[in-house]
Amino acid sequence: MFPIKGEERIQRPAPTEPTTRPGDDSGPKAPNVKRPDPSDLLKRMRRVDPDQARRYRQRSGE
Amino acid sequence: MSERLFGIETEYGILVEDRSAHDLMEESRLLVRAYAGTWAGPWDYRAEDPRADMRGYRVDALNYDREDAKYDRAGPSSHLSSEEQRSDRALTNGARLYNDHGHPEYSTPECRILADLVAHDRAGERIVLECARLRTEETGRQVQMFKNNTDFHAMSYGCHEGYLCDRRVPFEQLLWGMLPFLVTRSIYAGAGKSGVETNGPLSDACVYQLSQRADFFSEIASVDTLAKRPIFNTRDEPHADVHRYRRVHVICGDANLSEFATAMKVGTTAIALAMLEAGWEPLFRLRDPVAAIKIVSRDPSYRWILEMEDGRTMRATDIQRIYLADAQKLLGGSDPDTDWTLREWERLLNDLETDVWLTEDRVDWVAKRRLLETYIEAEGIWWEDPVIRSLDLEYHNVDPELGLFYALEQGGQMRRIVTDSQIEAALTQPPSDTRAALRGDLVRRFAPEIGRVSWGRVGFKRGSDLQWQELSPEDSARVPHLRGRLDAAKTVAEVLAGLSGPAVPGE
Repeated sequence: MFPIKGEERIQRPAPTEPTTRPGDDSGPKAPNVKRPDPSDLLKRMRRVDPDQARRYRQRSGE
Repeated sequence: MSERLFGIETEYGILVEDRSAHDLMEESRLLVRAYAGTWAGPWDYRAEDPRADMRGYRVDALNYDREDAKYDRAGPSSHLSSEEQRSDRALTNGARLYNDHGHPEYSTPECRILADLVAHDRAGERIVLECARLRTEETGRQVQMFKNNTDFHAMSYGCHEGYLCDRRVPFEQLLWGMLPFLVTRSIYAGAGKSGVETNGPLSDACVYQLSQRADFFSEIASVDTLAKRPIFNTRDEPHADVHRYRRVHVICGDANLSEFATAMKVGTTAIALAMLEAGWEPLFRLRDPVAAIKIVSRDPSYRWILEMEDGRTMRATDIQRIYLADAQKLLGGSDPDTDWTLREWERLLNDLETDVWLTEDRVDWVAKRRLLETYIEAEGIWWEDPVIRSLDLEYHNVDPELGLFYALEQGGQMRRIVTDSQIEAALTQPPSDTRAALRGDLVRRFAPEIGRVSWGRVGFKRGSDLQWQELSPEDSARVPHLRGRLDAAKTVAEVLAGLSGPAVPGE
């Protein structure tokens, strides 16, 4: 092992464009994102028991 | 990254109709025992020692939660042994399912590829959901499972990550090198929570915070996990050769529903560890890491300004950018997962600094906040309305017909890392390139003949004795050849001879 010190770039401006390298498109992929109908989401949310969190008691875990 | 073993252990929340927290030890035990697939057990706890501390000593006892102890009472399973209470199951996919103090816990098999880990983490959701469905059928009482970390009444339970790490990295370098990273990564890895459960910085101003877990950390470093929880857990339990490895046991993270967040949480942490293994260290320290993890979680301005030990201030995004920039120089081009993580890490930080809403397709806390704000606006209510916490909880319900995260995913709003068919395969198939493949194959073929099992070894029944087959991290490179030998073996004796035998030239 060899010592490498982290550079101090506290005031470094953020890049305006993401870094891309040719040929680095391997690894996990993401599909296209599309918007759901917000009314469907609201319907599902309105079905939630409003008292659910009050009744939800758990044992302490790790 | 591709040479490192990593995994995720998730303690699930469990809600059983007409049952209280007093009953959860029993309900969790019975839920695990409802698992209908092939499994082997019991677990070999002799290979584990949660009281061993990385700093070179062993504590006499672990701290426990005195409030939680009030739930203990005599019940139908009180007379059972600890082994029966825990009801460990080693599964054919290399995973472990057991009852951890009233929480069904699913530990993924050891993985080396992010997509494998995400698939196995999500397979865990389906496995506990299927167990819940069987219990509902059996009892007539609805059983629901939640992949979250709090009951909103100050009881927290964990989603831990394990990373095998070179033991030559000095403890102090590991601790101070990881702290700024772990404290700030919740800006993209947090699962979001409405309200606060403990006092502390900004608690009065906080109606919604980034992290489920940040409220529950009071120490910088310790071996504890149940109470007085530390940001950096010092448990020295590598599940491998203790002279060669540490297992960095990260306990300060949230359980993610977003596949992207899971991949980024593990990918960036693996990269930070790889930098430390290479000798890198940051030239700054947080003045108060315990306060800082709460500030990052609770700051409603999303500027996340933290005090450094030398009096300067830095934004959480700046701290993350220092890790990122040096990782790009040190590790860029190492392997596809590292390059993917570096690229997406930078995009995330850019988006978070530009407008946090840009990340709602990837980051759980942002996606959940959008859902809750949509509801608040539609219903004309306030953040303090009790229904908000019920909706928060429902985000984490792993039933695809009920869960609000699943609603987003079904609508195509969340970025995916794996396909449903990959998750389906992970229900029964282990990763093909780690020792988990050998464990899974052994369970699939010889479960009745296995008398004990753990991460590092499998014990086969031999009369009143056990004959052990060691499973080493170094097996990873030879897994395809060893699986070939295992396939050819007809008996346990042939398996043991085949797996323990010398390597054939060319293997």
